[in-house]
Amino acid sequence: MSKPVMQAESLTRHYHVSQGVLKPAVTVKALADVSFRLEQGRTLAVVGESGCGKSTLARQLTLIEVPTEGRLQIGSEWVQPGDKAQYKRLRSQVQMVFQNPYASLNPRQKIGDQIGEPLLLNTTLSASERMIKVMESLERVGLRPEHHNRYAHMFSGGQRQRIAIARAMALQPKILVADEPTSALDVSIQAQVLNLFMDLQEQLKTAYVFVSHNLAVVEHIANDVMVMYLGRVVESGPKATIFANALHPYTQALLSATPSIDPAHRQKKIKIQGELPSPLDPPSGCAFHKRCPLADARCESELPVLRELQGRQVACHHTG
Amino acid sequence: MSIFLSRSKIPGAASRLESYPHQFSGGMAQRVMIAIAIACNPKLLIADEPTTALDVTIQAQIMGLLVQLQKTHNMSLILITHDLAVVAEVAQRVAVMYAGQVVEQGDVSRMFSAPTHPYTRALLQSVPEHSRGASRLHTLPGIVPGQHDRPGGCLLSPRCPKVQDRCSNERPGLYAQDGVQTRCFFPMSAQEVL
Repeated sequence: MSKPVMQAESLTRHYHVSQGVLKPAVTVKALADVSFRLEQGRTLAVVGESGCGKSTLARQLTLIEVPTEGRLQIGSEWVQPGDKAQYKRLRSQVQMVFQNPYASLNPRQKIGDQIGEPLLLNTTLSASERMIKVMESLERVGLRPEHHNRYAHMFSGGQRQRIAIARAMALQPKILVADEPTSALDVSIQAQVLNLFMDLQEQLKTAYVFVSHNLAVVEHIANDVMVMYLGRVVESGPKATIFANALHPYTQALLSATPSIDPAHRQKKIKIQGELPSPLDPPSGCAFHKRCPLADARCESELPVLRELQGRQVACHHTG
Repeated sequence: MSIFLSRSKIPGAASRLESYPHQFSGGMAQRVMIAIAIACNPKLLIADEPTTALDVTIQAQIMGLLVQLQKTHNMSLILITHDLAVVAEVAQRVAVMYAGQVVEQGDVSRMFSAPTHPYTRALLQSVPEHSRGASRLHTLPGIVPGQHDRPGGCLLSPRCPKVQDRCSNERPGLYAQDGVQTRCFFPMSAQEVL
């Protein structure tokens, strides 16, 4: 196994939420015990419903927040909480692309300046050297370099996402965290942007953490898949293994709920009732038991741990 | 009142009448919208991207609800969406639009197996599911023209893989043939594999 460019061990993040002046603050366990390793040039997809902790995970990986417990390795260094010099050095190796390119670009700053800003902050390049890099970045993401002095509103949604990608790639990071990068785009534009992600990965050997709830997209772009439910990993392993034979009932439900254009691929829908429970008041035992077709008394009381089974990890009492 | 909410399968409908919108989840709020829309037993319900903001499990619940209400209320449904897979599962007829015009209209299963318009074909090909196993997705280069920079001739001509001279000079009408309407001078035949 080659050396990982990113490794997480039992990452956990709690938030303290005030419920009013007289009520005690509650602890929300947004992320619990998430571990993975990611190698150069590979893509890890993080999948789950809104509120499952995907974005919280992204915020820990990009050093925007400090995890409550657990440790994180970026490049060859383990992150030391509170070491500001190390944070500054490591942040340039982990960059992020956000969901909504209409919100993640500054409307009042020329796009060339926005793409050049990471270079201004993190390198000692002169203005003219930075401009050359900006032009190269624009060309690499399929935009015309001479458009560097335009503003974000002069571009379409897909072009704006390209600009956001150019900005994230300006420092040639080892790892790119992309949080639902195509869910705001139309299907034909989504295809263009996904191809761009894959082209860039091939050229630059960047590792991707790709957060998405669209399993069709994940199936296309990922090497490994990690399915999360209410802050915990429920199933994790190589893409082909999971898509061919999902073991966790939640993964199965997600796959069967995904609509298909091909009648032959259309499965009988596994109906899961209800919605993701509130993380303020998580169910006892297995967090999925209230919606799970296989749930029994054990699931209500005992939290299933992740275990190795048929080439992947799965957390369920009823598989295997 | 609660009878309207319970039609949309909102749990504990009677107790939710005093709730404000922010107290509902996205899926539940959409159920309330559906309850409002069908309160007067309409003959036609127009749903504009009803599940685009929702997770896939909730999307399946909401689409199931819409189809079930459609049957029990004997109601027609116009579903506006860019999710082709939802169209394939829910609709009987489909109209594909490009830059303000219908470019192809007809039966859903026919359109998915044998699209006649190059734009329909490109859309179907850009769905990730279509390129299963391939390293890259099929794409249609370029973007939809804005309202002030519409090209002459066929509106798709600058992006169309099958463009010919006539397409750049003349705007095609909507031609009907075998129950399919298509806005193209050179429609695809069923033999051209997807």
